[in-house]
Amino acid sequence: MSKMGRILALTLIALMALSIVGHAADPIELRVAWWGSQNRHDRTLEAIKLFEEKYPHITVLPEYSGWADYWPLLTTQAAGRNLPDVMQQDYAYLGEWVKRGLLMPLDGFAASGLLDLSTIADAQLSGGMIDGKIYAISLGTNSLAMVFDPELFEKAGVEIPDTWYTWDEWVALCHEIHDKLGIFGAGGNFQNEHIFKTWLKEHGVWLYNEDQTALGYEDDQLYVEFFKMLLGLQKSGAMPTLEWDVARAALGLEDALIVSQQSAMDFAWSNMIVALVSAAGRPLKLGLMPQLGPNSVPGNYLKPAMFFSITSQAKHPEEAALFIDFITNSIEANEILMAERGVPIAPAVREALLPMLSEAQQEMFRYIDVAEKHSSPIDPPDPPGHNNIMQNVYDQLAEQVLYEYISPEQAAKEFRRQAEEILRSN
Amino acid sequence: MRVRGSARRRASNTAGYLFISPWLIGFFCFTLIPVGASFYLAFTKYEIVSSPTWVWFDNFIRMFTKDYRYKSALKATFYYVFTAVPLRLVTALAVAMLLQKSTKLISVSRAVYYLPSIVGGSVAVAVMWRQIFGRAGLVNALLKFVGITGPNWLGNPKTAIWTLIVLAAWQFGSPMLILLAGLKQIPQSLYEAAAIDGAGGWRRFRTITLPMLSPVIFFNLVMQLINGFMVFTQAYIITGGRPLDTTLFYTLYLYQKGFRDFEMGYASAMAWFLLVIIAFFTLLAFRSSSFWVYYESRERE
Repeated sequence: MSKMGRILALTLIALMALSIVGHAADPIELRVAWWGSQNRHDRTLEAIKLFEEKYPHITVLPEYSGWADYWPLLTTQAAGRNLPDVMQQDYAYLGEWVKRGLLMPLDGFAASGLLDLSTIADAQLSGGMIDGKIYAISLGTNSLAMVFDPELFEKAGVEIPDTWYTWDEWVALCHEIHDKLGIFGAGGNFQNEHIFKTWLKEHGVWLYNEDQTALGYEDDQLYVEFFKMLLGLQKSGAMPTLEWDVARAALGLEDALIVSQQSAMDFAWSNMIVALVSAAGRPLKLGLMPQLGPNSVPGNYLKPAMFFSITSQAKHPEEAALFIDFITNSIEANEILMAERGVPIAPAVREALLPMLSEAQQEMFRYIDVAEKHSSPIDPPDPPGHNNIMQNVYDQLAEQVLYEYISPEQAAKEFRRQAEEILRSN
Repeated sequence: MRVRGSARRRASNTAGYLFISPWLIGFFCFTLIPVGASFYLAFTKYEIVSSPTWVWFDNFIRMFTKDYRYKSALKATFYYVFTAVPLRLVTALAVAMLLQKSTKLISVSRAVYYLPSIVGGSVAVAVMWRQIFGRAGLVNALLKFVGITGPNWLGNPKTAIWTLIVLAAWQFGSPMLILLAGLKQIPQSLYEAAAIDGAGGWRRFRTITLPMLSPVIFFNLVMQLINGFMVFTQAYIITGGRPLDTTLFYTLYLYQKGFRDFEMGYASAMAWFLLVIIAFFTLLAFRSSSFWVYYESRERE
């Protein structure tokens, strides 16, 4: 018995010794945060499993939520100096986060090869750059698009417009469809900031000036004309009135009017086509945004749908870089992620995915190809205070204009006054 | 002996504090310290990711002089409180009087009428309400049935807030229960005497029920006032403050400022001013009570 005991003890000691050796490189816990839908959570968790298999010394602690909860959560973590290593970033927040010193520049990791960006086009990286340094790696490319319902267009006997068409033609199209089918030509919410920014881009200006101290356009007529166009559509019934649209009690993308065939056109970011098509259960087409005229500056631009960034509070920046490299370049990982965040930026990944895509995803890839050829460079990241200006000033005034409480002229003046007040307080 | 006694007392005090320590820790960590911190923050510019900077009364000055949406928020909140609270109390009283009579199913119906209050503040009911008053919702479907095209309840600046007020009136359960208890306290002999003197139903209600019930009504009024000013979930989910900020309740705007715009200093200032508003109206209610609240006990003094 005692011999058995001794063997047992020895085995135990040996096992312990082994396990100590095995843990010589301490297990690293890498915290990764993102927002998204259930579909994205499932795919990302699956890809993380693959990452952990490849790098057994790293354990990923995922922290995921919906968009609305994500920012309060991460901001609170930032205040508590408790940010995760890797976080999903958004273009609207990137400037502010870099300015506050919460993100780490990634150029060093790219130079050391930990994060391989050698095959990625500059245009795909520029969206994540601030002052010449890379702070964020795009997880997929997006572009604003007009969504068309081919079935309804056929029913109305109208052609889906060519690549290049003007706003005037688009307005006429809305009227024509409304007259022929009795439905809306285009869904609501066209006062959205992104449409307005597209409109400004075509006029050759950005919403802000270069120093980010004032609005980027001198002539309030730009604002006035944009809202007059929407008011006109609203009045004729070719577009839902804002009152009608608010009263719908719509909850999500699935409630879009184009899904229920109540409108023949709508706008969306190109990656939303997948959700729209699956909600609609029939094919939809993507097209460029309308243009001012035959020779105007393209209003479309390629936008990183979202990024991964390494926070300045990261405990394991090198492993974080490894993780971002894996998500960017690994074909196996992307076969799981399936471009759910947007069209991947690595050419090899794109090529590998192509034969596996669903019809809706193929449409998205096709559209990004078209948009790439007809787009302007992306605007610089928005200044701090931008979200404040949009939600407390722009949206409020747009609502008052579309409810016809104030005229577009009044709103244009008010917008300039209040927006610049916020910009000055930065 | 004295020393030993005080030592024992100290020991037993320690034991006592230990026993209530879960509550104490909760009170300090989750109530007192945050309240103190928010008072400090009210005088700072604090955007969460940067450290707070002291700005004296800037937040309050901005609130009263520059912030248009703050004015909309005050307007919406006052409109709501001064319509929803009386409506809820009247409904509660009416239902309490109905349920006062003893019938076979009385306990069942009491439970049924209390139900909306239990589920009332919840997200699920708010989502349901949204659907009921939505464009193609239940209300408009019923109106269509009788040949009327329903309005855009949630989209129309005049009607949107009323969907929330109706919801508030529907959640009359807890004041109703308290009023019911109050009604039971009124001696039957008073009614009998009045009936013999030839007083009709309305007269009995006005001269017996209301005065005898006034302390309970007063209590409910104060509680509902405080609750009314703090209304949040319903507007957050049903209308989101839209349209045109007509349903932008004070706490909803406070939330947007703090957790959407990350202006924690400003939001803290708003929170402290809400306390002032609530304190003012509660005090007003107390001051007015000597004119209309009747305490039987005081009469005997």
